[in-house]
Amino acid sequence: MSQPKQKRIVLAHVASAHGIRGDVVVRTHTGDPAALGDYGPLSDVSGSRQFEITQLRVTAKGVVVRFKGIVDRNAAEALRGIELYVARSALPPPAEGEYYHVDLIGLRAVGPDGENLGRVVAVPNFGAGEMLEIAPQQGKETVYVPFTDAFVPTVDIAGGRVVVIMPEMVGDPEPAGPGEDRDGPSDERE
Amino acid sequence: MSRSIWKGPFVDGYLVKKAEKVRAGGRSEVIKTWSRRSTVLPQFVGLIFGVHNGHKHIPVNISEDMIGHKLGEFAPTRTFQGHGGDKKSVKGK
Repeated sequence: MSQPKQKRIVLAHVASAHGIRGDVVVRTHTGDPAALGDYGPLSDVSGSRQFEITQLRVTAKGVVVRFKGIVDRNAAEALRGIELYVARSALPPPAEGEYYHVDLIGLRAVGPDGENLGRVVAVPNFGAGEMLEIAPQQGKETVYVPFTDAFVPTVDIAGGRVVVIMPEMVGDPEPAGPGEDRDGPSDERE
Repeated sequence: MSRSIWKGPFVDGYLVKKAEKVRAGGRSEVIKTWSRRSTVLPQFVGLIFGVHNGHKHIPVNISEDMIGHKLGEFAPTRTFQGHGGDKKSVKGK
């Protein structure tokens, strides 16, 4: 019996060649750009080609990386556009109460009574705390839910679900602008 | 030029009324608002505003650090979503 395919996550992609010694500029998706080299060898999308980082420096242009076996500009240019993956198991276990975005994305969102609300599609933070973006099943507009105990009491990664209490939006329509007393926002006016 | 101090921070009156009403209710509700121009006041701390971004209402959990900023700063009108990578989130209390 074949083993289940291991979950892999994209950590960076090669943006361009840099210099003549085989360096490349990579765009990282890691929290700390310099953490790209912390998780062992990287691989391409198919997993057949491995990339071992021998040098890494963070510059204004981006993260400049030298891979083992890439020694000239032609070889570096051939890597342009390649996405660099690492196995999910290479990431260290998160601290208590912490969750990797890759673990949260894709979880099924269910209500307290078990009703299906959709799936988690993103974990944005616009400066006012973490949120879960939930895409309803019927293809309606996504909704944001604050990622707090009050609204997300249970996160069950092993069970593939989060329990979500949908926030109740309150508040009457507001006047349209200074000196105006029409009700509602511009898109709800008659 | 910055705003004159004698004027005080700008905030829409109806937003203050909505905030007072929800605080008196004591429930964890999201206050729907279109007033992106309003300044975050100290009495808003602990409340959650659903700030309209032109498309939908983005929940904004008000904390002390946000006092003096405008509500619109926390509800971007354009969003770019990258990859998850190794980014982590901590669930709030």
